[in-house]
Amino acid sequence: MMWVVVGVASLFLLKAGAAKSLVPSKIQSMAELLVEFIQGIIQDTMGPSGMRYFPLISSLFLFILFCNLLGLIPGTYTVTSQIIVTGVFAIGVYGLSLVMGFKLHGAKFLPGILIPPGTPGWLLPLMIPIEIISQIARPISLAVRLFANMTAGHVILGVLVGLTITGGLLIGWLPFSFTIVLYGLEVGIAFIQAYIFTVLTCVYMGDAIHLH
Amino acid sequence: MAPSQDPVFAGLGQAMRVGTDLLAALIVGGFIGWLVDSYVLDSTPWGVAVGLVLGLITGIRNAYRAAQRWQT
Repeated sequence: MMWVVVGVASLFLLKAGAAKSLVPSKIQSMAELLVEFIQGIIQDTMGPSGMRYFPLISSLFLFILFCNLLGLIPGTYTVTSQIIVTGVFAIGVYGLSLVMGFKLHGAKFLPGILIPPGTPGWLLPLMIPIEIISQIARPISLAVRLFANMTAGHVILGVLVGLTITGGLLIGWLPFSFTIVLYGLEVGIAFIQAYIFTVLTCVYMGDAIHLH
Repeated sequence: MAPSQDPVFAGLGQAMRVGTDLLAALIVGGFIGWLVDSYVLDSTPWGVAVGLVLGLITGIRNAYRAAQRWQT
């Protein structure tokens, strides 16, 4: 299923980039909108120096988005509803931001992320454990958010479809109409979760680049 | 209009962010406390208690910070 996702995403972009016309076709303007959208995220969170990481961020966004969207087609499998997939992404992104921080700032990076600016000295024994917890919580919340949203959505849809089948014609129309509404909501959540994952990736990397 | 400036989209994004951040910090705090309890100090209830309180403080502080960052 992962390779299917990669294939569909690549096909979409190849098709969109095939005819480089000045007046864009439908699919080309979709791709241009996408690129400008990711560009906007990077500019907002990392600043102009973050454009170096555009390929990484855009492929991450596209992969998660297509996983979420293709998983909504009945009969397919949602890759991002497995915590191992989202966990590897989150740990990879977080590890990358740590490596970047140490490479850019050297040994100054560790106190830089552990001590917020303007902390009085007597608060240090309290602030350092809090900052350590908040750093460890970052990849966990990143992974759990995507996984939980996708899993919960699909579980609800499954339960409602099960109720429809059990209810039959007499009362089954009620959960079925809920299914239709929730399906629209799930499409929205697929977009929003991909967006959040990308934004948080950018924010963590931006923290590593601009040390306060 | 770029979607990253769309208030509904960005608002939903930050709302979903803050909820999980609170929970994750709490879980991490409790887990570290439990680790300290069971493997380092053998001080059974205290590590988890202190860890949970620290995790709670961390979560609330992170949520507050996130809210401040987005307020402008």
